[in-house]
Amino acid sequence: MTATVTPATTGSAAATDTGSGVLRALTRHRGRLIVACAAVALVLGAVFLGAGNWPASLSVDLSGPLKSTSDWIIDNRDGHPLFLYFLGHVSNAVVVSVRAVYLVLLALGWAGVTAAATLVAWRVAGVRLALTSLAAFAVCGVLGMWVPTMQTLALMVVAVAASVLLGGLLGLAAGLSDRMHRVLRPVLDTMQVLPAFAYLLPVVLVFGIGVPAAVLATVIYAAPPMARLTALGLRDADAGVMEAATSLGATGRQRLLTARLPLARKELLLGVNQSIMMALGMAVIASVIGAGGLGDRVYQALASVDVGAALAAGVPIVLLAIVLDRVTAAAGERIGAAPAHRSRLGWAIAAAATAAVALGTRLADALTWPDGWTLDIAEPVNRAVDWMTAHLYSGVPVVGGTADWAGHFTTWVLNPLRSGLQWLPWWAVLLTIGVLALLIGTWRTAVTAVLAMAAIGVLGVWDPALDTLSQVLAAVAVTLLVGVALGVASARSNRLGRALRPVLDVFQTMPQFVYLIPVVALFGVGRAPAVAAAVVYALPAVVRITAQGVRAVNPAAMESSRSLGATGRQQLLQVQLPLARPALLLAVNQGVVLVLAVVVIGGLVGGGALGYDAVFGLAQGDLATGLVAGAAIVCLGLMLDRVTQPTQRRDLAGKGA
Amino acid sequence: MNTPPHTATAPQTTATAESVFSVRDLWKVFGPKAERVPADQELRGLDPAELRERTGCTAAVRDVSFDVRKGEVFVVMGLSGSGKSTLVRCLTRLIEPTSGTVSIDGEDVLSMDTGRLRELRRHRAAMVFQHFGLLPHRTVLDNVAYGLEIQGVGRGERRERAAEFVTQVGLDGMEDRRPSQLSGGQQQRVGLARALAVDPEVLLFDEPFSALDPLIRRDMQEEVVRLHQDEGRTMVFITHDLSEALKLGDRIALMRDGRIVQLGTPEEIVGAPADDYVRDFVRDVPREQVLTVRSAMRPALGDEREAGPALAPSATVHEAIEAVARTGENARVVEGGRCLGVVDHAGLLGVVAGVPAAADKAVA
Ligand SMILES: Nc1ncnc2c1ncn2[C@@H]1O[C@H](COP(=O)(O)OP(=O)(O)OP(=O)(O)O)[C@@H](O)[C@H]1O
Ligand SMILES: [Mg+2]
Repeated sequence: MTATVTPATTGSAAATDTGSGVLRALTRHRGRLIVACAAVALVLGAVFLGAGNWPASLSVDLSGPLKSTSDWIIDNRDGHPLFLYFLGHVSNAVVVSVRAVYLVLLALGWAGVTAAATLVAWRVAGVRLALTSLAAFAVCGVLGMWVPTMQTLALMVVAVAASVLLGGLLGLAAGLSDRMHRVLRPVLDTMQVLPAFAYLLPVVLVFGIGVPAAVLATVIYAAPPMARLTALGLRDADAGVMEAATSLGATGRQRLLTARLPLARKELLLGVNQSIMMALGMAVIASVIGAGGLGDRVYQALASVDVGAALAAGVPIVLLAIVLDRVTAAAGERIGAAPAHRSRLGWAIAAAATAAVALGTRLADALTWPDGWTLDIAEPVNRAVDWMTAHLYSGVPVVGGTADWAGHFTTWVLNPLRSGLQWLPWWAVLLTIGVLALLIGTWRTAVTAVLAMAAIGVLGVWDPALDTLSQVLAAVAVTLLVGVALGVASARSNRLGRALRPVLDVFQTMPQFVYLIPVVALFGVGRAPAVAAAVVYALPAVVRITAQGVRAVNPAAMESSRSLGATGRQQLLQVQLPLARPALLLAVNQGVVLVLAVVVIGGLVGGGALGYDAVFGLAQGDLATGLVAGAAIVCLGLMLDRVTQPTQRRDLAGKGA
Repeated sequence: MNTPPHTATAPQTTATAESVFSVRDLWKVFGPKAERVPADQELRGLDPAELRERTGCTAAVRDVSFDVRKGEVFVVMGLSGSGKSTLVRCLTRLIEPTSGTVSIDGEDVLSMDTGRLRELRRHRAAMVFQHFGLLPHRTVLDNVAYGLEIQGVGRGERRERAAEFVTQVGLDGMEDRRPSQLSGGQQQRVGLARALAVDPEVLLFDEPFSALDPLIRRDMQEEVVRLHQDEGRTMVFITHDLSEALKLGDRIALMRDGRIVQLGTPEEIVGAPADDYVRDFVRDVPREQVLTVRSAMRPALGDEREAGPALAPSATVHEAIEAVARTGENARVVEGGRCLGVVDHAGLLGVVAGVPAAADKAVA
């Protein structure tokens, strides 16, 4: 109830004065200094540590203890108080609520659900998106996927509700308390860079395979964006408006409810949107741990390399993703535009219409999607794939076939990269990681990265981790090559930018899992298709960030370089790209994180390495192997993120300047 | 002094019925361990740059004392960074003062507990902000009713009362718009209506019109003048615009680096600047429009008491020049039928030229 003033920022002025000369010199020659130290360390390492893999003496075999833990949990799941009085209830509540939502969806019938979705879309997002949702749900039915779609939807509703609640509460705490913010931020940051796969194993350890585990993994995975955006929105509330509320004598509660929360409503809705998208991605992947629904259909189909069936289940996923994303995003943009009384009337009409349709189908006894209205696409698709296998896989004159490409990529890129990494002495790997992280980030990120990598060695999965790493590196290289080129091109040509936008939009909304379907069709199974899926998945983000960065380059700088007579090429190389450096670094970081997520899932289509270990652990009930692989994936994710994380030092540098 | 038709809901303490706000030795220092600055004789005397150097603190308000009298428009003027906003926020403790006393109607503001302070902000002082501070998700009507909502007034009643004030500030027919659909001037009218709707004893304005373009600013200034004339509400008005200050202010406090360098009526500020800083500040003011004939007057000699045009003592020099030029005679200054003195060419020219000797002689 006192001052609305933040304490003064001090110290920066004092710090610049003394010792700034030394500091500045250090900063200027930082890069050279680091490289010199690294060279010395390299020589020392070669002399004292020798070559070779991660030494066995430095690793700890966790499979024993992990196995006994998992056995203990399995044995005690029905008896121990922790399960009886807490986890058991959680698990039951999840099952009951998913079941309840599913029953409601069934009771509404296909026509009722479609009508409800269409009308909600109409209310919050307008006619165009209403038609899109209508079409999307109809296609789900036509493809014969109505039931799995409803299963996935039921799981999603429960998971999204829980994660919005959980994330919202965490965000509220972080938004209102600086202490909570400091504690939560690094945790949420880290959670967001971890591959979805890594979340599956711990929940399976506790809850076993099934719907509760799937829902909880989804909740945990989808809550961080909600929490972050809530906190961001609350913290960014317009200080002038908050002061005005205080000046009128508002209590803390009134300030929160009438000013701070409403001011953050855009961020809150964006948080809901992101949570929904994350939840969908996870709900599909969680088919590996018993989520059922559409994801399960894809999973089963991929396991038997039945591309047709996978596509029939994949299309509804994509449609669901697009509808959910566009509708919630539009809701965020249109919020508060219409006067309240008109919107209430509209909602009443929508509710009445839904009820009428649901009742109508019930009376007509047509709750389930009519059998005659389905269209089997699996057959023709599989025929097409067979044809492709026969004609495009190999032996196409001049260009070669897709399988040939995959083979060449494996032989000439992936294999040498993997053996190269595995040939490197372990300490050299750590050293390289440390030096890279230091060059790009701070000593703090470097220490985390090196420790994370070392932890992988300690866990005893050094080799498979390097295998995964080699796939990541190859995929990142391709992604950056293509992505930066496309990004720069679309920033410099408006036409290309406009043409690319809808494509990128769709690609960015699709869950990771779906990308596996086309690559399997094109390249079969193996490491190359996993890399291809990763590239396709990470590409849109890289293109976007690059294009934005290049476009945002200060027009004055561009103008002055043009007035100096620079050619387009010179402008690009000497002005735009250097000035867009922060954006490019961000693109690298995002690319690495996204690529890793898919490379790990690639374990499902023959990518091997850590992803395979995790899947194998889940499928065979060998949780010890799975958990070790999961932990290694977490470490790898941490390491890759920290090595490419440029933000913090830039902040510091900015302050000193 | 006319009594305001809207009386404040808060109890009026008797002791200092004259002044609404009474501020004594007020300090506001931003920075680490700010309390030590007003307490330390040596630190008190330092100029801002030295203080920052020595302690890392910024003294935004230094040792300020003044009274805001009931029914007056008290203007605080100064350049950017002189501490005006900080000062006005200290009055209702939107910014917590470092030391000194602030009282409203004789009641100590700094010792108020949360509930009492909230009461003060709800009923006794309402503020209008430079950047409006409107809630973007609410309609004009609901923004105006916001203060009442916070007080716990029921929905129907507060909307009804808010509608009156929307009309009063001339926004009829825009009740259902949102702030983003209004021009800057209209938004500030909403801000004004919101402050008026709670019927405060004092209105605080923090540079309310400096974000508006000149024409709209003049409209709004006239609005404030009208409000003051109609209701006689006490106002504290912050501005960095001298002409605005002279136009609205009954009394003006001129601030520099957190201190008040001169406090007086517009005439005193323009006619008798306290130091070179103030003199520099008011140099370009059309003096004849601010100063009254009192400052150009000399005692009447003999039959001068009887002849020539008559002027009230509050008439400006500008009006006197006009009268003298029209009639060709010296003008008499008359109050209640008694002649206080006369103004002649020499006296008037002295004022316009800003030659102090002539003015001094005339006053003396
Ligand atoms: N929260 C704060 N922390 C530190 N210093 C502050 C803070 N608020 C204001 N100051 C400093 O106090 C001094 C006075 O600021 P204030 O905002 O009161 O000036 P002002 O006269 O209102 O200026 P303007 O006309 O630009 O609004 C300035 O030097 C400013 O930098
Ligand atoms: Mg100010």
